[in-house]
Amino acid sequence: MSGVGIDAPGSTQLFIGNEAIARGALEAGIGVASAYPGTPSTEIMASLISVAKEMNFYAEWSVNEKVALEVAAGASFAGIRAITSMKQNGVNVASDFLANLVMSGIGAGLVLVSCDDPSTISSSNEQDLRNIAKWLDIPLLEPATFQEAKDMTKWAFDLAEELNSICMIRSVTRIAHARGNVRLGELPKKEQKAHFDSICPVVPTLPKFISYPSAWLHSQLHAKLDKARELFESSPFNWYTGPEEAELLIITGGSCWLYSLEAVKALKLENKVGILKLGTIWPLPRKLIELHLGKSQKILMVEEIDPFLEGSIKELVADLPPATPRPTFYGKHSGHINAYGELNPDLVIEVIASIMNLTYESRPAEYSKKAEEIPFTYMPPRIMTFCSGCPHRATFWAIKNALRLDGRDGFVTGDIGCYTLAIGPAGFFQMRTMYCMGAGAGVANGLGKLGQFGFNQPVLAVCGDSTFFHAAIPALINGIYNKSNFTLVILDNNATAMTGFQPHPGTGVTGMGEITTAVDMEALCHSLGVQVEVCDPFDLENSTATLLKAIAQDGGPRVVIMRRECELVRGRRDKKPPYKVHVDCDKCLGEACGCDRLCTRVFGCPGLVWDSESGKATIDETICTGCGVCADICPQGAIIREAV
Amino acid sequence: MDMKVKGSKELLTEVIDAGLCTLCGACAGGCPYLVFYKGRIVLLDSCTLSQGQCYQYCPRTYTDMDAISQQVFGTPYSGDELGTTKEVLMTRSTDTRIKESAQYGGTVTTLLSLALEEGFIDGAILTKMSDDKTPSAFLAQSREEMLKSAGSNYMACPVLQALNQIPKDSEQRLAVVAMPCQILALSKMRQEPPQDRMNVGNVKLVVGLFCTWALSPDGFHQFLKENLNLPQVTKFDIPPPPANIFEAYTPSGKISFPLDEIRKFVMPACAYCLDMTSEFADISVGSVEGIEGWNTVIVRTDVGAQLIEMAKEKGKLEVDILLPENLAHLKEASLLKKKRALQEIITRSGDRKNLLYVSLQQSIIDRLLA
Repeated sequence: MSGVGIDAPGSTQLFIGNEAIARGALEAGIGVASAYPGTPSTEIMASLISVAKEMNFYAEWSVNEKVALEVAAGASFAGIRAITSMKQNGVNVASDFLANLVMSGIGAGLVLVSCDDPSTISSSNEQDLRNIAKWLDIPLLEPATFQEAKDMTKWAFDLAEELNSICMIRSVTRIAHARGNVRLGELPKKEQKAHFDSICPVVPTLPKFISYPSAWLHSQLHAKLDKARELFESSPFNWYTGPEEAELLIITGGSCWLYSLEAVKALKLENKVGILKLGTIWPLPRKLIELHLGKSQKILMVEEIDPFLEGSIKELVADLPPATPRPTFYGKHSGHINAYGELNPDLVIEVIASIMNLTYESRPAEYSKKAEEIPFTYMPPRIMTFCSGCPHRATFWAIKNALRLDGRDGFVTGDIGCYTLAIGPAGFFQMRTMYCMGAGAGVANGLGKLGQFGFNQPVLAVCGDSTFFHAAIPALINGIYNKSNFTLVILDNNATAMTGFQPHPGTGVTGMGEITTAVDMEALCHSLGVQVEVCDPFDLENSTATLLKAIAQDGGPRVVIMRRECELVRGRRDKKPPYKVHVDCDKCLGEACGCDRLCTRVFGCPGLVWDSESGKATIDETICTGCGVCADICPQGAIIREAV
Repeated sequence: MDMKVKGSKELLTEVIDAGLCTLCGACAGGCPYLVFYKGRIVLLDSCTLSQGQCYQYCPRTYTDMDAISQQVFGTPYSGDELGTTKEVLMTRSTDTRIKESAQYGGTVTTLLSLALEEGFIDGAILTKMSDDKTPSAFLAQSREEMLKSAGSNYMACPVLQALNQIPKDSEQRLAVVAMPCQILALSKMRQEPPQDRMNVGNVKLVVGLFCTWALSPDGFHQFLKENLNLPQVTKFDIPPPPANIFEAYTPSGKISFPLDEIRKFVMPACAYCLDMTSEFADISVGSVEGIEGWNTVIVRTDVGAQLIEMAKEKGKLEVDILLPENLAHLKEASLLKKKRALQEIITRSGDRKNLLYVSLQQSIIDRLLA
């Protein structure tokens, strides 16, 4: 066994945070793991699924996060420990079930790991999931180190069972994807037996796993939180470092603790500034915090995204006896800490220095200037674009041409996926709305019903294949039912490409590599009574003609499936390009009238390079994947593709 | 009037979006940016060139009539009713097969067929109608293919797009049969031949058609589709006044529509056209008012004269002189088009010195406005 499954208790391994979380789940003896991929959470499931068969537990990529949570809950109900992981947007999808689940309690330990993405490095929104724990009364832990990521996850299962409640772990990108030492614990060896026992211990006539009677269950839930708070008061995941009487007390948790620690060290303020590091984020250990509030008259809350600790601690202070001296608070409300986005040690240094009236130059001004200039001096300028040979580029080329030819100012509504790049030059600026999974199809439903208000712009919704299964099917059904006038284009590249090519219900293979029924998306659409066309996006002419025909129609929705495997998947498998592509320099017009560098300036595949010396296009053979589409773009026939 | 050659962006704003586009096709087919689709010229992507052949050859951007006339006839533009002429004749084909499918006298098909036979040309850019009567331009390379083109459809068709699509290295000698606006654009192309495209020098014969206006291929086709079983229609015709009707020939007889109903589909750009008789062609061909089965033919150049002479000698055409009253009437109609167009142009520009796209000598302007 290798990776997260290595059976070497006491040894130290270098794990990314997501692997540490996965290892914690393994040490807790999970029997089931479920997830929908989403950065930065993906590697939790990816590392679990890679050892699931060998370690004799079940793991799956689920169709979406709500189902993933329900899968894990099902296992828990039958006495099997289960983990589910997702990114912050996924928790929104799962939240309806989550809000009901907290009412009933659980069977065996059930843990939801949610990964926030401060600064939205790879997300469609910025959101702080600590709030959902407070909102839904769920105990939440947040690791600050890789060791804690492992240890906390393991403990979260015990905690969940002790409290009879699902527990949450909140991680952020810098924990999820950074790498550090993790000292391993034992892997449990005992056999697990699943049995569903539905008898409610309180009211034997009621089933155990229901969210009813809700009001009574809600009061029980509050009691669970009180119990959690008591447990958290003495949790080893909370600690204080610093002087007994501090000039400034920092209260923080997660990766912000590391930034704070580094900042205090850099400013050499270890004897003046104390840090209360919290790992049990909700419910907050009230007594522990009260105890430390007395250490200073100045309190700084260092946290990312929302003022969660700040607000909760201020609430706590408001409940203190009237005579208690009120400290001065520094944080997001005072403007000291950024109201959004990621923090880093430099930012925290600036804040502490400003509160302590210090001057600190983290780096010489000249060095900073040079560092800022370097990317523009030594790195070639790059735009966000699709990979070389990506079918999406061809699809959006056809969409662009079809919409221009149609001439009624049509546009694309979209959502999150690789194809989101179509909001920019990669997809010729075609995508004009972008929200969560499936939102392109949903929004198109509304736009498609505006005919009575004189609206005649064609609406073209796009979604990926995995997104289609995840969230677009209800929107399509709604459109059919309510006769909304739009075209749904499914960009079927046979993978959940953006998160790392995970299989999905249409691929015919499960997460654990088992061959399974491939859900046939066109048969599904046919069964819904909608017209379906399937195109190869690399056939630009046919794709454009098919799209033109589809958008010209009136009435209910039409579906066009643009089917072509993700080039990265094909390339990995086939190891060789389908075509060898080169430019015939005698034919290439370059900047002359008639071409104006269409291939490099507009089509923009990274495999096409403009050679400014010769004034001709060339193929970058190290990048070109040999898809050959550019040969059809070149008006001079100067790009030659030869079958390999 | 701006004499500067500009780019596709300006072509879009100054001509296409301004309702001045005649759908001649001179801007289309030569680059990947401008294409003809369903009755419109569409700009698919932005081209960054500040000057383009699309703008340069457009018959509705700055056009120096004297320079073009010099190029074609070696004389400045006369502004006469029928332009520069050698003789005005009345002709009809002697070929029964051509006459069967001809709109009037079958002269154009006969001349092309002869030019091909005699090895004077290798092909011709013509217009044909599909089964559902959508017009499209094509390269005809045989007499059979030329016969497919016979008959008029009255709809604008981007003939020059087909010319632009001829490969650059093609050595085929060509004839082009086109409308006045298209021949004006073609003349601009011949004046400053396009770079990196088909060799316009290979155009050896230009046959112009008479035109009072053309119909929008999208709107009018939609109208026809709604009112006729199009695959069954064998011919369209607008009989001479005072009929004032548009006719469709079907197996069950002629179906006619009031001409006023049809006029709604006239291309807005036609209002600004000064040329009824394709004044820069080698030969211009139209109908003869009141005499069915004959064509009016205006011979303008040596090339045109030689071809007519050859057709006469070989007995391919019956040739007669046009009766004086017909000639007078033709001149009157052509002059009327010029006068109306000039008025429209001045009304639009709001300035007698700004003729939108056309540069004319002051004496000609004064004569037309008198």
